[in-house]
Amino acid sequence: MNKFGKKAQKSVAHLFSYIVMAVVVILTIYPVLWMIFGSLKSDTEFYSNIWGWPTNPVWSNYVTAWVNADMGIRFLNSIIVTVGTLAVVLPFISMAAYAFAKIKFPGSNLLFYFFLLSLMIPQGVTAIPIFSVVINLGLQNTRLSLILVLSSQAMGFGIFLMRAFFISLPKELEEAAMIDGCTPIGAFFRVILPLAKPGLATMVVFSGMAAWNDYFMSSILVRNSKLMTLPLGLVNYIGQHITNYPQLFAMLSIVTIPIVIAYIIGQKQFISGLTAGAVKG
Amino acid sequence: MKNTGSLNLEMRKKFHLSSKWQRALTAYWMIIPALILYVVLVIYPMFKGLYISFHRWDGLSEMKWIGLDNYKFVFADKIFWKAIKNSFVFAIGVTLVKNILGLFLALVVNQELRGRTFFRAAAFMPVTFAFVVIGVLWSWIYNPTFGLINNLLQAMGLESWIQGWLSNPKIALFSVMVVDIWKWTGFHMVLFLAGLQGISKEYYEAAEIDGAGMFRKFFHITVPLLGQVTAVSVIMSMVGAFVGNYDVVYVMTGGGPFHSTEVALTWIVNTTFRYAQVGKANAMSMILFVFVAIFGLAQFYFMTRNKAE
Repeated sequence: MNKFGKKAQKSVAHLFSYIVMAVVVILTIYPVLWMIFGSLKSDTEFYSNIWGWPTNPVWSNYVTAWVNADMGIRFLNSIIVTVGTLAVVLPFISMAAYAFAKIKFPGSNLLFYFFLLSLMIPQGVTAIPIFSVVINLGLQNTRLSLILVLSSQAMGFGIFLMRAFFISLPKELEEAAMIDGCTPIGAFFRVILPLAKPGLATMVVFSGMAAWNDYFMSSILVRNSKLMTLPLGLVNYIGQHITNYPQLFAMLSIVTIPIVIAYIIGQKQFISGLTAGAVKG
Repeated sequence: MKNTGSLNLEMRKKFHLSSKWQRALTAYWMIIPALILYVVLVIYPMFKGLYISFHRWDGLSEMKWIGLDNYKFVFADKIFWKAIKNSFVFAIGVTLVKNILGLFLALVVNQELRGRTFFRAAAFMPVTFAFVVIGVLWSWIYNPTFGLINNLLQAMGLESWIQGWLSNPKIALFSVMVVDIWKWTGFHMVLFLAGLQGISKEYYEAAEIDGAGMFRKFFHITVPLLGQVTAVSVIMSMVGAFVGNYDVVYVMTGGGPFHSTEVALTWIVNTTFRYAQVGKANAMSMILFVFVAIFGLAQFYFMTRNKAE
């Protein structure tokens, strides 16, 4: 193929690609924009002006939605559960992963593969027995039960990820720290952990998102209205009220916008965090 | 001033050589917290579930041993098998579309184009939303009278294509599948993109020198070298389709109409909480586990090979 033909072929490919990209961007972003537009429309405009943006933004929809659906409490509960989960997940996994990565001890491989078994036990399969274990522990209807259950789900995969991460850190670092007088534990806290920030960031995104967005386990473990998280509150609200759609959309927006903002700020972290482990390195 | 020479030896003696057991002990107590949490809330429930599946139980009163009867009930339960069939249709359909689309989009983005980062971020964004939020939003997009889709069709003059997307038992499942695809395709695109970027350009350059065209390069270089990523991507979407779609189905259709969108998890939860047949629900969970374990094993295998030991 002559040079001109090749160039033309490339331009066509590029044009086609831009069109595809534009279509995908519209398909992904428009529904979200539509949700926000809808949340700001009045009742009548919601049904009459389906496509465009609101002519007279009704900001009070957000206030009404917040109040009617007890969003303040739900937000607080979601934050408690998510932060709680991270507070359990990060130390537990870091310590265990470090031990697997850096310390030679009997049973190391066996225990590690034992943790990896969790890859074969998907969450849904053990949901009901987990519910009865939680009852046995006297923790039914508590946020603590949610925190513990959500944390336990992260153990296998999290240890797998963090161990790989610790292995990639050079051994000289701890040796240098210990020469300067640190115990192995001291070395862990003062030298390794600060360097583990990327790996920890991955865990934060992964477990944090799972905890924040969870509906399935939450709906099974928490029934008390005052303890519901945002996803639970959302579904509960729909079930109980005859829907005022602009307010419903306001609720959806309230739940979604924090994530969108966090995502815009840290997309690289989100993307690499949520796909970690599936991608090499 | 430190006398580093002898101090070194002391340190080394104290922390390395003297205590193989001290090291082991340190390791054990670093692992114990995670281990306890894991055993109590992941491993033990597996066995408890098996145990309960051999009993009749409503969750409150005494459990009554009935051996394999629950399994007989489950095998005879038409709705359970419909749910499993729906789960399979869901799984295979979604996996095919998400992976093919994901690969296609990754190939598109892998070129030197402007706006790639923005595009990647936009395509991935739905992955970060809660499934319940997406489910509620799409329920309204599918609304027969005021939803985006039917209005779009009407505006384009395609009125004959207007449907009851969620109320028609024949297409409801596919409507829900579209939502799953909408959410997750960006995820698979990112996976394939990473895989593509791991293929050394030299392969393509060498092939071009040999006169290979677009298709030849794709099938002889790209496809074989994407093996690992494809395997992980496919397995993840299959597993997710069996055990990760509770939220979206529950919120959009609750399993209806007429169980046309009932999937394994929604039926298990229904059996437990609506019909109070906890033993039977656990039997269903065990059967589901067997189906999924095959993929879980494959995922286990692909994720543990090729990794730095």
